[in-house]
Amino acid sequence: MNDLQPRKDLLDIESLTLEEIEYVLENAVPFKQLFQRSVKKVPTLRGKTVLNLFYEPSTRTSSSFEVAANRMSADVTNFTISASSVVKGESLLDTIETLQAMRSDYIVIRHQAAGVPGIVAKHTRASVINAGDGYHAHPTQALLDSMTFREVFPDYAGKRVAIVGDILHSRVARSTSTLFNKQGVELAVMGPGSLVPAGRHDFMTRLSSWEEVFDWKPDAVYLLRVQLERQEGQFFPSIGEYHRMYGMNAERLDKMRQLGAYLMHPGPVNRGVEITDEAMRYEKSLISTQVENGIAVRMAVLHWLKPQTEKK
Amino acid sequence: MARLFKNGSIAKAGTPAPERVDVFVGDSGKIERVAPEIDAGEGVEVTDCSGCVLVPGMFDLHVHAREPGEEDKETIVTCGEAALHGGVTGVVLMPDTSPAIDSGNLVKSVHDLVAEAGLIPMLQAGCLTKGRGGEELAGFSGMVSRGVPMLTDSDRPVPSADLLRRCMEYARDFDVLVTSFCDTPSLTKCGVINEGQTSYQLGLPGAPAISQEIAIDRDLSLARYTKARLHIQQVSTKHGIDAIAVAKAEGVNVTCEVSPHHLLLTDVDIGDYNTAMKLNPPLRASEDCEALVEGLRNGTIDAIASDHAPHTQFEKSADFASAPFGATGLETAVLALYDRFIRSGDFGWDVLVQCYSNAPRKIVGLEPVSIAEGEKADFFVFDPSAGTTITAEYLTTKSPVTPFLGKTFSGAIKETVFSVG
Amino acid sequence: MSEQPDITTEEILSPDGIEEAVIDLAKKVGAVCSGSEFAFVGIFTRGVTLARRVAEVLQQDGMECPVGTLDISLYRDDFDNRGADLPRLESSDIPFALDGMRVILFDEVIFTGRTIRAALDGLMDYGRPSKIELAVLIDRGHREIPIQPDYVGETLETTLNQYVKVRFREDDDKEGVFLVTEK
Repeated sequence: MNDLQPRKDLLDIESLTLEEIEYVLENAVPFKQLFQRSVKKVPTLRGKTVLNLFYEPSTRTSSSFEVAANRMSADVTNFTISASSVVKGESLLDTIETLQAMRSDYIVIRHQAAGVPGIVAKHTRASVINAGDGYHAHPTQALLDSMTFREVFPDYAGKRVAIVGDILHSRVARSTSTLFNKQGVELAVMGPGSLVPAGRHDFMTRLSSWEEVFDWKPDAVYLLRVQLERQEGQFFPSIGEYHRMYGMNAERLDKMRQLGAYLMHPGPVNRGVEITDEAMRYEKSLISTQVENGIAVRMAVLHWLKPQTEKK
Repeated sequence: MARLFKNGSIAKAGTPAPERVDVFVGDSGKIERVAPEIDAGEGVEVTDCSGCVLVPGMFDLHVHAREPGEEDKETIVTCGEAALHGGVTGVVLMPDTSPAIDSGNLVKSVHDLVAEAGLIPMLQAGCLTKGRGGEELAGFSGMVSRGVPMLTDSDRPVPSADLLRRCMEYARDFDVLVTSFCDTPSLTKCGVINEGQTSYQLGLPGAPAISQEIAIDRDLSLARYTKARLHIQQVSTKHGIDAIAVAKAEGVNVTCEVSPHHLLLTDVDIGDYNTAMKLNPPLRASEDCEALVEGLRNGTIDAIASDHAPHTQFEKSADFASAPFGATGLETAVLALYDRFIRSGDFGWDVLVQCYSNAPRKIVGLEPVSIAEGEKADFFVFDPSAGTTITAEYLTTKSPVTPFLGKTFSGAIKETVFSVG
Repeated sequence: MSEQPDITTEEILSPDGIEEAVIDLAKKVGAVCSGSEFAFVGIFTRGVTLARRVAEVLQQDGMECPVGTLDISLYRDDFDNRGADLPRLESSDIPFALDGMRVILFDEVIFTGRTIRAALDGLMDYGRPSKIELAVLIDRGHREIPIQPDYVGETLETTLNQYVKVRFREDDDKEGVFLVTEK
């Protein structure tokens, strides 16, 4: 039937095969259809525990995982650990021991340090889902981005997506571009020179301005939030200048309209920086679809992963 | 008891192929005879060294013994034992301890501990600046009078060009080596890995190669201007090596060192956030690695220095960005270099003897050691036909963290023949 | 290849036999349902085919039977024991309001009854039918739950080392009902 092997953890997009990606994206569709029922729950994960461990604040991602887990009838526990109360590194191993003792089946973890979900996954039986680690990866975001794009473009191979903004600090840019590239979607990046790293993947063509972006005729433009809280040092002169040079303003929105290009954004948005109120209301904005698909994709991921069982 | 090392070959600088001889060491620890055939005689312990190479003891210019202050990671005793286990019979200890070694009294207290340990000579280096703070000169005269061979802020640069200039000028009357760790903090910032494709893919803040290159350019210019004697630690960049070659050609009195890790590994080897590979300076790209190997071959690089930097396994089990920089190296240096370069014929034992025994000793003003009649016995026995798997059990250091954990090298160090008396 | 001698396969129903059974089911269902509002819901995969075939027969007699489809993977009680199984989920499609509706569930075989139990849970998360009944092509016995079909094509006596293979041309490369015995 399928050559798919079960997997315990979802840590990044790099390690996924196309078969696995297809499997999750196809299964996400029936989950999405459940949202139209009045009973949005299924009993699949009844009796299972999902632990949301968020070392970085995020209402959007944590609530998306919480809703997904609830709709699978799992028991959900949320821990938000603020950076100040954690001694870097030292608490991680102790926390892992505590997590093991709690016998969660699934651990959703978001952390400011790259590689932490992988360490947790190595030391616990639970299925670990990376909800974002430093600049490294955000695999469920990439999956929901792909699901959203494919709803609009069922023949997605060869289509074009331009990612605009702070690539250097963006785990979304890394994961989503890796996934799109695996699927044959063409990618370009545009943003301040100080935020588009030379070490990026070869498949990310560099465009230098909005003019070049529109000349490239993207099927979708993917805006990134300016990661102010992650920047160490000054990368551009001011928010005002960023908005003038790189923001989706009214004029650029008109060009989008003329091209028929779609607008995507992982959220949350910084109004007045990379995006405007008007752009949020753009008729071809996929932003709220992304949110909805996020729940479906996360349900499909919870359905797919297989925690290690305890040996009796 | 007297010992006869039979059927081995001895390695020496200048001769690529080891020379087949028997070596007789008297019970005073002196080599009494070196000849093609020696009969054992009564009461002599015979060690069969068929197929083995006898190599003069190595000397490591860059070792962190963590004492005083961090004895849970390593002590002078465990460091000395690790050195002997790796064929190293003398080291220079870095002053980045707790407290930092920036005065004569502190140097003396370490040297007293070394004498008490009675394992190998361990020369304490002193700081260039008080407390390694980079602001004021440390007490040169006190430290030099206690026998420091070099002054360095060890694994930290001196950010102020003016201050380093004054250190170089002031050091001239003390016949002490100014040793510089070349890095530009405002470029490195919080970088934990070489900046490039690997840092992008792993999503980690990167430290660009120019951070070391710019600092090397600066320090070479200062050395040229002040006519000081300068030693550059842990070269890791292609352009850095190129600049050193040019400076040497111009007559600048500079020497430099490289670690086996930087000769053998690149940032790609870091793989899935392996913190044993988190080093300072970081492992760099393959062009840098190739340039370093070439630099060793053509003599631009004078010395191999392991930068043996123990940290507890607990500390290294943190996430990559949080874990401390450094790995142990005393016990893996010779094995790794033999396995990669000597076994394959890239270069011979003579290069190892030159770069990891003779040159380092010369840099700190010591005589080279050789396996010859009348010399003190100071060598290790290497068996190319055996194998060594690097495990926590094999390593004697207190903190068995190494990029080579789990690796099996061709060759084994059978024993190190040395006594400090 | 090597294990074949220990497995025997016996044809229980030929394609004609299936057709007869379907017509029979349609008659029984039609007799009870004529005059009231009812709908069919087929359980993926072959329950859907069965429901559609029965609906087609009734349609020829002028009765309209909407057919919905139900994937019960998410309602199964053996999630922990799925092993290396990675099921592809199907989109359930119930394009009619269930409240107050009389529903006939269709599956090709009933065995332990657990699948039907899951289907009942799934169905009722879509709404509140006024009555639910069950139609199956084959009843092979060995119930583990007190669930019984209301309409049966064929009843088969089976042992636990046997399994019933229903093949429909719409889903498989052949047509027939087979009893497979493993020694």
